[in-house]
Parts: sequence; C-alpha cells; structure tokens
Amino acid sequence: MRQRLSVDLRLLLIFAAAVVVFGVVGAHDATLIQAATYGAIYAVVAIGLSLLLGNVNLVSIGQAGFFAIGAYAVAYLTASFTWPAGVAPWEQYLLATLLGVVLSGLLGVVLGFITLRFQGPYLAMATLAFGAIVVGLLRYAPAFGGVSGISNVPYAQIGPFAMSGIGAYWYAWFLVALAALATTLILRGRIGRAFEAIRNDPLAAEVAGIPVRRYTIGAFTYAGMLAGLAGTFYSSYLGLVVPDAVGITVSIDVLLMVILGGAGTVSGAVLGAAIIGFTNLYGHSYENLRPILYGIAVICVAIFLPRGLTGLLWYRTGRRTEATALPPAPAVAVPRAEIPAGTRWLEIEYVSKHFGGLVAVDDVSFALENGTVTSLIGPNGAGKTTLFNAICGVVHSDGGKVCIGGRDVTGWQPHRVAALGAARSFQNARLFGDMTVAENVAIGAFASKRVGDADIAAALTGYGVAHMRDTPARDLAFGDRRRVELARAAAGRPGLLLLDEPAAGLNADERRRLRDDITALRRDGITVLLIEHDMSLVMDVSDRVIVLEFGKVIADGKPGEVQQNAAVVEAYLGAEA
Amino acid sequence: MTDRLVVRDLDAGYGQLQVLRGISIEVGAGEFVAVLGANGAGKTTLLRAISHSEARVTGGSVTFEGRAITALPAEDIVRLGLSHVPEGRRLFTELVVDDNLRLGGFWRPRAEIDAAVEAVYERFPALAARKRAIAFGLSGGEQQMLAIGRALVAKPSLLMLDEPSTGLAPRVVESIFAIAAALRAEGTSILLVEQNARVTLRFADRAYVLEHGSVALAGSAATLAADPRVQAIYLGAHVDDARGKAR
Amino acid sequence: MIQLLIAGLTVGSTYALVALGIHIILRATRAVNFAQGDFVVLGGLFALSFVSLLHFNVWLALIGSTILGFGLGALYERFILRPAAKVSEGAVMIASIGTVYVLLYGHAMIWGNEPQPLPTFSVAQSLTVAGSTVAVQSIWVMGLLAVMLGVLYVFFERTMYGKAIRAAANDPVGARLSGINVDRARSVSAAISIALACFAGTIVGPITLVGGSSGITITVKGFVGAILGGLASPIGCTVGGLLVGLIETFLGSRFAHDLVDPLVYVILLVVLLLRPQGIFGGRRIARD
Repeated sequence: MRQRLSVDLRLLLIFAAAVVVFGVVGAHDATLIQAATYGAIYAVVAIGLSLLLGNVNLVSIGQAGFFAIGAYAVAYLTASFTWPAGVAPWEQYLLATLLGVVLSGLLGVVLGFITLRFQGPYLAMATLAFGAIVVGLLRYAPAFGGVSGISNVPYAQIGPFAMSGIGAYWYAWFLVALAALATTLILRGRIGRAFEAIRNDPLAAEVAGIPVRRYTIGAFTYAGMLAGLAGTFYSSYLGLVVPDAVGITVSIDVLLMVILGGAGTVSGAVLGAAIIGFTNLYGHSYENLRPILYGIAVICVAIFLPRGLTGLLWYRTGRRTEATALPPAPAVAVPRAEIPAGTRWLEIEYVSKHFGGLVAVDDVSFALENGTVTSLIGPNGAGKTTLFNAICGVVHSDGGKVCIGGRDVTGWQPHRVAALGAARSFQNARLFGDMTVAENVAIGAFASKRVGDADIAAALTGYGVAHMRDTPARDLAFGDRRRVELARAAAGRPGLLLLDEPAAGLNADERRRLRDDITALRRDGITVLLIEHDMSLVMDVSDRVIVLEFGKVIADGKPGEVQQNAAVVEAYLGAEA
Repeated sequence: MTDRLVVRDLDAGYGQLQVLRGISIEVGAGEFVAVLGANGAGKTTLLRAISHSEARVTGGSVTFEGRAITALPAEDIVRLGLSHVPEGRRLFTELVVDDNLRLGGFWRPRAEIDAAVEAVYERFPALAARKRAIAFGLSGGEQQMLAIGRALVAKPSLLMLDEPSTGLAPRVVESIFAIAAALRAEGTSILLVEQNARVTLRFADRAYVLEHGSVALAGSAATLAADPRVQAIYLGAHVDDARGKAR
Repeated sequence: MIQLLIAGLTVGSTYALVALGIHIILRATRAVNFAQGDFVVLGGLFALSFVSLLHFNVWLALIGSTILGFGLGALYERFILRPAAKVSEGAVMIASIGTVYVLLYGHAMIWGNEPQPLPTFSVAQSLTVAGSTVAVQSIWVMGLLAVMLGVLYVFFERTMYGKAIRAAANDPVGARLSGINVDRARSVSAAISIALACFAGTIVGPITLVGGSSGITITVKGFVGAILGGLASPIGCTVGGLLVGLIETFLGSRFAHDLVDPLVYVILLVVLLLRPQGIFGGRRIARD
C-alpha cells in the first residue's frame, strides 16, 4: 500500500505541473481549454468513485445522482429561484454550492445505509436504481424544467469574478486539487488504512476492530459529496442542465475513467478523466469508434490490468518468498489489556447456534481461567469454528450468553468485541494481501488507541517477522503468513486470544515454534482458546481440553484425563465393535 | 497382484498451503484399502489430488492402471474408471434421484446407462422407492447412497469414498461399509477415507494412517486394529497430567 | 383494458426473455451480464440485415438471428467472461459493462442511429379481440415466447444434455466428478442466453423498431423482473419479466410518462430491501 501511495503522490505532482503548463501555454485555444475544464469536472467525480471502488471495493453506478443534485442545486438557485434583495451573485453561488454538496452528502448517507445489505451485482444494481430515481425525479418535476431542464444558468461567481474561459479552467482544476488533497490525506491516514483492510478482507477487518459499516457509509457519503461538488460547477460552466445529460451515462463514463486510470489512486482517476476528456475532443470525426475503443479498452483492462494504467507503475507481483528460517522464541512481553478484577476473560453460558435444521452448537457452557491455554477439540463438523464465530460476534448465537471481561457481549458487532481486548486468528490466515507485514500488524492495534509504534515493533520482533516488515502479505510463504497473523492478533494487546487451527499446514519446525509462541503467550498472562487437530501440540501446550461432538461438550478436563476418556476415544476412533 | 492405483511421492495442497508431503500409497485390483488419520492429516486432500478435483498437485505422480493421470482434468479421469465420491457428496440437489444417477454415467451409451441405473436400484432399494424425489429432500443416508450410486453408474474399477459415515447413524454406517465390501467382492477396488478407524478396520484389507500429510503407519487391517500407535496418532502421545509433559 | 394487457404482456415478453437470459448466464458463470439488453438490440439488427441484405423472409431471419446469437454467446463467454472470471467477480461485471459500450456504439456505427422497422411476421396487421383492436404482431410475440419457453423446458427438463448443464451450474465439482465438462457447459449456457436475447430482439422488432436505442435500459428492466420474480428461479424470472412489462404499461397509462421509470426503480429498491429473493425464490435449493 505504501508503494501505491508514494507513486500516486508523485504522479499527482507531475499532473499538477502539467495542468499549470497547459493552462499557461494553451490559454488561447478555447476548444482545448474547454475540453480540459470538462475533464477536470469529471475528474472530481472520478476521484470520489476511485476511493469507493479501489479503496473500499464498492461498485457504484449511481454517482450521476449526486452529480445531478449538485448541478440542479446551482442551476435552480442561480437561474430560477428569486432571491430576496441584497443577496449578491457570488453569495448566491456560494450558498447554492454549499446546498448542493450538503444535500449530496445526506443522500450519500442514505445510499450507504441502503447498500449495507448488498454485495457485488446487487450493490451495483441498487446504486444504479438510486441514481436513476434521483435523476428521474428531477427530470419529471416541472419546477426543475422537466425534460428540458434549466437553462440560462449564469457563470459561477467567485467574489467579483465570473468563472468562464480560462478562469473556469483554473477554478475547475483548483477543485480537483482540493479533492485530490482531501482524498490523499484520507488515504494516508488511519481511515485510509482501515479502507485498505476492508477492501482486502472485510471479515478480518471487522474482527480486528474496524467498524466496517460505519466506514462504508462514510465512503459513500464522501464520494457523493465530491460528485455533488463537481455537479455544482458543471451547470454554471455549461450554462444549463439537461436531465438526460446527467443521467446514467455520467455514471458509466466515470466508472470507465476510474477503471482505465486505476481504481484506488487519485492520480488514476485524474488520468482516466484526462484520457477520456481528450479523446472526446479529438475523436470527433470517429464519433462511434471512440466509445467502442473505450469499451474494448475497459474489457482489456478488466482482464489484463485490473489495477488500471497507474497500476503498471506501482503494482509489483513479487516472487513468493521462501519460508524464512525461524528466529528464536519471543523474548519481549507484549502487554495486555486490563479487565475488572475478579472477572474472567471468557465465560459462555448455553450458547447455541442452528443453521436451518442443523444444530451446530448445542448449549455449550464453560468459563476459562485467566492466563491459561485451553484447547477445543473434536471431530470434523463438531461446531468448533461456529462456536468461535459466536464468541467474537461473527454470528449471533440463538440464545445463551457470551461474557468477556464481565461484560455481556452477546449480539455485539465483532469490532466492538475486538475493542474490549479479544483477538482472533482464522483457519486460513486471513491477511490483507495488498498491505505489507507491518501494515497488517498495525491493523491489529486499530481498535486500541493506547497502542503505539513501539508496541507494534515489539509484536513484529516478538513473532520473528520484523525482517519482512515491508513485504506485501500476498507474497509470503504459508508458514510466515501464520506468524504474521499471530503478530497481528497480538499487536492489539489482547487479553483473550482465539486461535483457529493455528498449526494447519505447518511443517515440524514451524509447529515447534508455534508451541513456543503459545507458551510465551501464557507466560505473558494472555488467555488462549485454541481449536486444533494436532493432538501432540494440544496435549503438550494445553492446561485444559474441551471436547465437542455434534455441538455438545462431551469431555472437559486436563489433557491426560481427556485422552483416556472413553467417550472421547469413541468420538475419534469410532465405537468398539 | 498388479496395482491399479500407484501414488508416488505426492506433494499436493491448496494454493500456497501444502498439505501432502511425499505420500506414496498403492491400491491393488480387488483390494479394500483404507486411509485413516486425524483431521487435517490430509486424507481428503489425497483423494482430491488423485481425482484432480479442488486440490493442486505440486510434485510426484499418480498412475492408474498403468497410465499417468497426474495432469489429466477431473472429467477425463472419471471416464478412465476411477470414481470419487467426495466429501459433502456434491449431489445435484436440484435434480431428482433418477437424473443424478443417470448423469453419473453421462458419456456412456444409453443402454449401458439404463442397465447400470437398474443395478443401482437393485443394490439400494431405498433409492428405487424415491426415484422421482428431488435430491435436496433426501435424508443423510439416502444422499450417501445416491452419491455412491451415481459413482457406480460410471462403472469404475476403482471407487474412492471420502468419509461416507459423516452425519450418519451407526446402523446406516454399517450398511454403507457392507456395500463397499460387496463391491470389493465383485472386483471393484475400494479406497476409503475415514476418521472412524474401528469400523473401517473391520472391513478393509489394508490401511494407511496419515499424519501431517505423510504416511505414519501402514499395514494389514488386522495388524493395525491391534496397534496402540493408532490411538496415539489420533489423540496424541500419552500425557501424564502429574508431570504435565508428553511421554 | 385489453389493449393495455396485451401491450403490457408484449413488452413483458421481452423483459421475460432478458430476465431468463440473465438467469441462465448467472447460474452458469456467476456473472451478471450487463450487456444482455444490448444483445437484444443486436438480435433485431441481425434480423434486419438478413431481411434487407440477404432478402430472407422474416421467419428465416428470426432463425438466423437466433443461431448467430448462439455462436456469439459462446465466443463472448470464452473470450471475455471466462478470462475476466479468473481475475475476480468484479472484473466480470466491468468486462460486461465494457461490452455494453462496444455493442452500443458498434450498432450505431454499422447500422446507424435511426431505429428501423422490421417487417411483421404476418400480413394481417390487426385483429379485434373482445371489442378492442390489437396488433397481430403482439400475438406473435406472446405465442413465440410460449414456444421458446416450451423449447427451453424440453431441453432443460427432458434431455440429458440440458440436465448436465443444470448439474454443472448446480455443483461444478460434482459435475466434473461425473465426467461432465463444466467449461463446455458454461459456454453452451452463455450461448443459449445470448441466443434468447437475439430471439427477443427479433420478435419484438416489428413493434418497437430495431436499433437506435440503448440496451442498458432493457438490461436493467430485465434485471428488475428477475429480482422481482426471483433471480434463482427460471419460472420466477419469466413471470417477473412479464410482471414488469405489465406494471410499466399500467403505470404509463395512469402517470406521466416520465415518472414511470423512476417508479419502476423504486419498486426494485423496495423488493431488494424487503424480499431480495423475489416472489418465487423461496428456500435456497442450490448451494451457490
């Protein structure tokens, strides 16, 4: 991710220079300036969509709705609306712009809420419907001129200046600069890292403490406001607004720009807008050929260059790294979160979960002693992972109670459970592939603001992954992925750590190292609950073993006891003949 | 005895995850061979690597009736006579029982399919009674029979079964194993993966016990049934709680 | 009233075929084909060329257009949808949107921007039914829809090949283990889907004129129909499509023409929010 951002910034500076040069050199050529100004307007919309699509992975084909709101707000308020006396044109324009942007933002919140339930094509369709409804209503309303829209919209008034010709060019690109600056700041900060995590793996992000829903709504709102801002300048520049020109074609055009340039970068959005803007200008004689070529370009980009043209500059598929030699066991203690005295880190009572007719977890109750290692074992399909999911909030149990640190967290969203100090790893090591090892581990500390860089560095060293801190997670060998996931879970100073099959896929050396890691966790006072099939590991490392079969607890006690328990032997080996 | 299936030094896994490490096994004509081991040991991956469905082979070879099948696509391997009844059964839940069966021998001439399906109904009368029932609505035992029946319509010379006892009542489990034994008596080789070691060892001729993706124990079923090491593999080496350390 | 009903069912027939085509491609390739409507338009244009350049009669043109659509669909799946699917599901969506552009402007480039008429399927133009005048072509449309539905039913419910295709969509792993070539099944599914689109474009061509229009609206309306009736059920998609046609026509008779589209989209959002599985999408049968 760092690579992408630094390339992005450099490209933006180059573009900024190009814009300045172009504006000075080409000032006399009205057609050129006009094309470039329209390009700028679309670039602002594209920047917002690039964030939605590339940084949060949400497809929106409804940006036209916000664009139209902005355009109509200005058009209506500066052309059709009768202001009380004494309101200067520049004040009118300013108020209209503000209204347009605010309305867009509000609608963005609404759209965000609506689309929380959807994914993939359903999401795209919902956004399409949304945009079409907004534009359709504007098209219908007689107050907004119906099909003919609103004309005679005066030029944008900034102070005493009317933005037309070269003035409009500078103003439009100033808006782009504003959007670029704001977006870059967002992407480089905490929110940007959260977005990246969400894009890579929303489930792992939620479990690590990122409030995914809130951020998703925020992303829609932001993208909506940018589109609205672009719209506010559009109608004053064009002089009119016609509903058919701000409809679905805008949504799709902007989507194409973002795809071509590269979603996820600001420069990609600007590049895409510039390309399409300029080919629009020069391709006039080949009116139909142009869009056909876009279409072909988009298909090729989708298949061969998923990160767009800018992706050529920053995306490097690294070689899979070989599994690294194992450093010695952690010497640094990673401090843990605190809970009220006398409470237990984990206590569950009568937790159950059904899926249709299938009972996955059946009235399971236990309380873990703080600072111990407990293993949850049982034959396949016994309900172990479902129980984990119920504990950390990924699924909600049907009845029963889950208490962490004395607080009833039943029904809580996973990110809130994480904030209390519970961390979890997954069966298949869900790392954020496009983020580096260090960035992955830092996300582990997202929910707890007390954790600083020193703690993250400690986690990296503690789990022996500090030397690969700048490697993108997707390039890691499997054994290393496991350790990074462990480091990420530990980075947030959890008091409760849920490990789901941490030994799966590890070779003998790696398993020995895992045993040392778990022992170190216990030494640091962290309460560990792990699901495992590797019995020698389980028996070696656990203070207590709980056995599930068909969702019920059939044994609970010290490792040696459980090993000899007839019911357990039967569950694993089958009944005696 | 000529070997029908020979697996040599097989490495296989999913994506980056390597599950099987240098596994070698053989199944002879008319043999009932079992593959046992705890979860995560690689049993299912082994079958998937052989039938080339869902798992990726990164090293080693698989030979069936003298032919190298390591690189063949799954749909071609079936047509050679190697059928796989996968974990989860993978039935065509939207289609009826009869269609599921007929599709099992999709490429074969109509007359042969008819005969094979009739044979399946004779073997599994419960299925015959539910010919036009949608597969989704069948009970667990019926679904397992349907899955096996579908594989049989392909007239395999080697049938691989992945944990056929999953979710089934003990009585039904026994009947499934009895069917496998009957097939073996008719000349079909059986390669059966199971977690339930005791029942399996009563029916199988030979068995391999996997651990961490390699063969830990191998031998005749009778020998293994009496071997205490099997239990140790499943439940870990004996732990003395008083001393808190294994062995 | 009868006229409204007939008109609604006529336009609904197009949507039904589009919805069905979307369903088939979706089940087989997990891709939502945004370009489905543009293939409908293309189908009508194919028929036009068969008639005007090759001097086919319109029935032959219908067959020709459908066959052409079949071949095109196979190519589309093989060279655009399949490579994109290897990248991600989002990539498939994007690729189909790119295809929209290629088709939309490709139509205009080859056939021009003006909508053109296709000859009607019979000489008689209109008919009196229960006191109202009805276009004969509408009867043809509904009749041909029924015929096509019948053909599809026989293929998918009564032939082994059709069932194998359904099996491949139902459980690709199980299908491979039964000797079915899943890639080929996907190709054939896409081919059938696009053939349906071209068929739809041709039968409705004499009424709505061919060319000169945007396919994306047809796609979206078809999609609305599919969601309304149940995206996972072929019956649902067909019924949903017809319903959308009826709703659109009735709304159009009561409300201003410009309000109809937004209202249809509102219905889509409401259905998505309240009952996303549609009318016929009861229990989830297939494991998706």
